[in-house]
Amino acid sequence: MAWSERLRDRASCKLLPVNSSFCVYNRFMPAWDEEAPGAFREQVCLPMLRGSQNQDGGWGYRPQSRSRTEPTSWALLALRSLPQPDPWKEILDRGTEWLLQTQLADGGWPSDPDEKQGCWCTSLALLALPSQAPDSKAVTKGLAWLRRTWPAEGGFWWRCRYWFERRPQLVRQNFALRGWNWTPGTSSWVEPTSYALLALQSPEIRDRRLLRRRKLGEAMLLDRMCPGGGWNAGNPLVYGVAGTPAVGPTAWALLALRSERSRTEIIQSLDWLESAARAVFGPASLALAHLCLETFGRKTAPLEPLLRASYESSQFLDDVLTFAWTTLALTPERTWPAAAASGGTA
Amino acid sequence: MSISNQPLLLPSARPPSRVAIRQAGRYDADLSAILLETLREFRLPVAGRTVLLKPNLVGLDPERVIDTHPAVIAAARETFLRLGAAQVLVGDGPSLDRDFEAVVESLRLREAMGRLGNTMVDLNLEEPRRIPLRTRASHLRELYLPASVLQADFVVSMPKLKTHHWAGVTLSLKNMFGIVPGSCYGWPKNILHWAGITNAILDLNSTVRPDFAIVDGIVGMEGNGPIQGRPKPCGVLVLGDDPVAVDATCARVMGLRPERIEHLAKAARLLGHLGEEKIEQIGERIQQVRTPFAVLDEFAYLVAPASSGV
Repeated sequence: MAWSERLRDRASCKLLPVNSSFCVYNRFMPAWDEEAPGAFREQVCLPMLRGSQNQDGGWGYRPQSRSRTEPTSWALLALRSLPQPDPWKEILDRGTEWLLQTQLADGGWPSDPDEKQGCWCTSLALLALPSQAPDSKAVTKGLAWLRRTWPAEGGFWWRCRYWFERRPQLVRQNFALRGWNWTPGTSSWVEPTSYALLALQSPEIRDRRLLRRRKLGEAMLLDRMCPGGGWNAGNPLVYGVAGTPAVGPTAWALLALRSERSRTEIIQSLDWLESAARAVFGPASLALAHLCLETFGRKTAPLEPLLRASYESSQFLDDVLTFAWTTLALTPERTWPAAAASGGTA
Repeated sequence: MSISNQPLLLPSARPPSRVAIRQAGRYDADLSAILLETLREFRLPVAGRTVLLKPNLVGLDPERVIDTHPAVIAAARETFLRLGAAQVLVGDGPSLDRDFEAVVESLRLREAMGRLGNTMVDLNLEEPRRIPLRTRASHLRELYLPASVLQADFVVSMPKLKTHHWAGVTLSLKNMFGIVPGSCYGWPKNILHWAGITNAILDLNSTVRPDFAIVDGIVGMEGNGPIQGRPKPCGVLVLGDDPVAVDATCARVMGLRPERIEHLAKAARLLGHLGEEKIEQIGERIQQVRTPFAVLDEFAYLVAPASSGV
């Protein structure tokens, strides 16, 4: 039985009290009211995000771990995307300040404040900064970093070496289409490229060089789609064998390609995701699939009962990212990514 | 602290290694009994210590043919607890899927091990610390490594017996790629590929050399591994305190020449024994369990002739 089917079974049962010895953030939570609509977001996700913010304003991947760029960005984005973020102003301001403090001189953001090189987290930090300040110095520097950052593959000498090593049979992809990498000196991959494209979706961006990079990144994503739709980390075909798509990369790639929604590849991939969403194995995948399908106006199964059942069994393994993505997915009136008007619940 | 302090010795200066091969035809066999009997022979210093089991959890595996099987992980955990370990953690940093809980649930690890919260560790999201590497095979010089690995007293590499479309085979040495945190390097940890897979394997294992290896060879994978190959029943568990010797033995069981597998040949210079004359065999003989694995054409040179005795 797939995880989601097991969860549906569990979701139909009365939930047990949360094991307080296991869950370090239980102390932030009020009494459980599973009947109220939106209760899970209000009573579990938001208190967890509030309670796990560190003194310095950032978030770690887990409560009480040191602040890192990625969880801080996702927590900020989730809270900022609430329809009424005003009650969260003080938390948002402190988180924003942490992000601004940790930006590197060259405009990038490192994954860890001890690191001196920017990475994929730059895109996430740009997404998380307040939208009313697109011309701020930090955003301008961050966008310039994205524009300047190229993956290691695809240059002339690299292509020569690849050809001489007789490895063209290994993977099938167009190396001239370059996206963004996870870390400097490595190849383009689906998720960091998707994050960068999401950061470049603002209509305020008019720099032609950035717009050209955006087009190239979109072409790279379409080139890396798995045969039949969907994306994995970035290898659609290895030694002639089709790669298996995965929920996370597919959801991010689709969100990054929202402007191309009528393309056959997008429709195929949405179909794949819709089918995959019925048999996902974890709450993060469940939330991302829901977030993406709802954004594209596809019908989705009720999310909250499944998440509640999952939370009861694992407390989402204390993963701040899962709580942030879950908050976004449970907020249909969110400001990012805005859900399509025709979306609905099956 | 699991940063290796073992001296990097030339083969001639190193004592012989011991590798055990145990037959286990099915995952519902009494694997705990097999492991307990075998591990007692090794007299491992685990009493009162924290043991980290590092299985190979590449990504989602609902068919249970890609990742180390949960029955083997659960049996190893139970065995180390019975040997007196104070705590046995199970940790990995899957390289292809960020959703750790989904990877764990797809394998149905909870059914095998019970509640996971205090046992399972997502090494991708652990607090990292920058550690200088002990060797300079690659250009990396240093890597972030996760707290659970650095704080463990005893690290056990628990791969599945598989071919690999870049490295030839993926066994206990290559399995250590999983300790490198995705939260620093991404999914996959592409920095290791760009550093050269062989060289990255050497640097990583010289720095955090597994104290022990348990290879799940009950059902392995042949052909286009590590994720797109075919399941290959082999019916063995291979165990030992020298990961190079364990991997060399596994390669021989797979009908491959370990001396032609680049990372094994290089690891034999400083990290462990490759030659059969330096490996004391416990349990089954290689010939008794030899099960030739199919390899991609690119790796045909690894295949040992059937008459070679390997």
